[in-house]
Amino acid sequence: MKTNISVSRLAGIVLLVLLCLYAYTAPLFTEQDATTQNLSQILASPDGSHWFGTDHFGRDMWVRLADALRLSLSLAALCVLTSAGIGVCLGVIAATGPSWIDRLLDGITTMIMALPGLVLVLIFAAIVPGSFWMLYVAISLVQWIEYFRVTRAVVHRVARSPEVQSSRLMGFGALYLFRRHYWPAIAPQLVTLASFGAAGAILMMASLGFVYVGIQPPLAELGLMIVEHFPYYEDAPWLLAQPLIALALVVLSCQLLGGRKEV
Amino acid sequence: MSLITVRNLSIYAGDTCLLRPINFTLGKGERLTILGQTGSGKSLLAQAIMGNLPKGLRTEGEVLVFHETSSPANRRKLWGRQMSLLPQEPWNALDPLMAAKAQLAETFRWVKGDSQASSREKADYTLELQGLGDSRHKRVDQLSGGMAQRVAIACAMAGGAPLLLADEPTKGLDVNRRDQVVNQLVSQAEAGALITITHDVAVARQTGGRLMVIKSGELIEEGNAEQILLNPEASFTKALIAADPQSWPAQENKARPDTPLLLETHSLTIGRGKTPLAQGLSLSIRKGEVIGVVGDSGCGKSTLGDTLLGVQPAFAGTLTRHLKTLPHRWQKLYQDPTAAVSHAVTLDTLLNDTLRRHRIDKARVKPLMERLGLASSLMARRADSVSGGELQRFCLLRTLLLDPVFLFADEPTSRLDPITAQSVSQLLVDVARETDCAVMLVSHDPHLIEKRCDRVIRM
Repeated sequence: MKTNISVSRLAGIVLLVLLCLYAYTAPLFTEQDATTQNLSQILASPDGSHWFGTDHFGRDMWVRLADALRLSLSLAALCVLTSAGIGVCLGVIAATGPSWIDRLLDGITTMIMALPGLVLVLIFAAIVPGSFWMLYVAISLVQWIEYFRVTRAVVHRVARSPEVQSSRLMGFGALYLFRRHYWPAIAPQLVTLASFGAAGAILMMASLGFVYVGIQPPLAELGLMIVEHFPYYEDAPWLLAQPLIALALVVLSCQLLGGRKEV
Repeated sequence: MSLITVRNLSIYAGDTCLLRPINFTLGKGERLTILGQTGSGKSLLAQAIMGNLPKGLRTEGEVLVFHETSSPANRRKLWGRQMSLLPQEPWNALDPLMAAKAQLAETFRWVKGDSQASSREKADYTLELQGLGDSRHKRVDQLSGGMAQRVAIACAMAGGAPLLLADEPTKGLDVNRRDQVVNQLVSQAEAGALITITHDVAVARQTGGRLMVIKSGELIEEGNAEQILLNPEASFTKALIAADPQSWPAQENKARPDTPLLLETHSLTIGRGKTPLAQGLSLSIRKGEVIGVVGDSGCGKSTLGDTLLGVQPAFAGTLTRHLKTLPHRWQKLYQDPTAAVSHAVTLDTLLNDTLRRHRIDKARVKPLMERLGLASSLMARRADSVSGGELQRFCLLRTLLLDPVFLFADEPTSRLDPITAQSVSQLLVDVARETDCAVMLVSHDPHLIEKRCDRVIRM
């Protein structure tokens, strides 16, 4: 593998690793938990026992923020894996299979794309409010289209190239063609798509939380936290700032990761 | 009177010398051909003379145009009117959205400064003169390579520049077109001076005049073109000339009419998409035969191969394979080897894939590699970091390991430099004869076909 990773990509990786590290290990460092309320100590500023302060119910923000991040990152990872898997498989099938499959899949994707993605996710989320799995299904359903379209375009070109014809003539099967020809052509684009897809999934989840259709309280979720903390922005600005900064950092790390490769 | 004088012109990238000092003087009506292989620094020389070297390169010595020393920046002012460059691959230099006549008229109008009416008239007249009268309203993509090149020449000459530089003017053209283009260049340059840069010995032969042979930035030989091409002194020049298909030693005809039939077609119609390209093809191919296929570009040579290999269905007619074999023994060699193998893994991996797929004995690889002149150190590299000639031989290696009975070689040497092309095509034919594999060799060079094949199909 080539190791000439650009500075911005490296920055994205480092940032993402740090965020994951915080999200998954933060609760180990403190005895606080995410749900215990302490109404005698609400909106406390950061100190020795509550490192990030407490929210309007006196819950520890260090743990809650980590919980929210963990939720977002897990959802993003799941959505990326699922939608990339479905999108790449269907894309290869559409580009190499009989033309009626291509037309059928193209029709389906055009229909899904005709609807604004967020609205579609909203409809799904409204069916079972507060369900993590419903959000996951809905976001994946919207996001596989991009992988499908990119894969289809790339594979369509490669499948008609001399290199694939040559491998076919030499008697290699479909799996080999995928491994040696299609996958190497798709993979570089996939990194970019996956990073932007992850950022998109996180933002979508936060948007739904923000309008109360996503994850329901008392679970910690970035969008939900933003809307819950909003009334206290004057008394405790750091409280509102925390989920906002966390959200911005996650999206930034994804964008850096998927950014254009410097030549 | 000398139009251009070049004194001790050399080119450096940092401290590395890319082109050693060169001297020449050209007067009116004189022609100079610079001959060398790809990567020998000949295109840099053209750029240095024009004054548009890429950044980071510097020149030493002087260039005098019309007895005046000029800096590269000054020479830019002479572009079009005093000196003009015909770039490589003219279809990339022409405007893809503009008709031929409009482009030419524009050059007359804005470079030469003619009035609008007269520039249109001149464009019409020039195109008519070039035999392009019917194509004046066509865009570049509707013109053939040779026609596009002639339009580009007309544009380059429209400014009335007496000094014309042509950088590989015949790259990618077939022989008829190549001759036309060279003739046109020569006749255009009668009133001025012409510098042609080429790797094609045939072009040097046709252009005549003076000749300089360059090898990796160094002047090897210089003098009268005819004399050098007849009696080359330097061994490199000899090798270059010997590599021109025209000078290849003739091959005795080894046709064996008694071998069994391999493939037969009867009034076959072939085509791509929905357009039929050739009709009524009836041919029979015997085992171990080497058949040449010639024809102009776009006449369906590659499609014929795809149809015979079963990759593409025939429109009409019958195609019978008389030998029942495994499908992978019908093989193809591609024009551009870099496009024909995966770049994702090393050559070694690709080779092992093939060996494993068909359970081929590993012991067969080594002797064949030696035969093809492939170093084992190459195998650890990927397709993009070996040369075209090496890669084509690697493709041949993979193909031969499959014991082919029929091999369709689609211009397998057209992208290789002449010396490599000679050895690759020789190897191909030799090995095929030894293994009794029928070969269909496509080429745009009739000399190559004549020297390599038992018989020829003209399309």
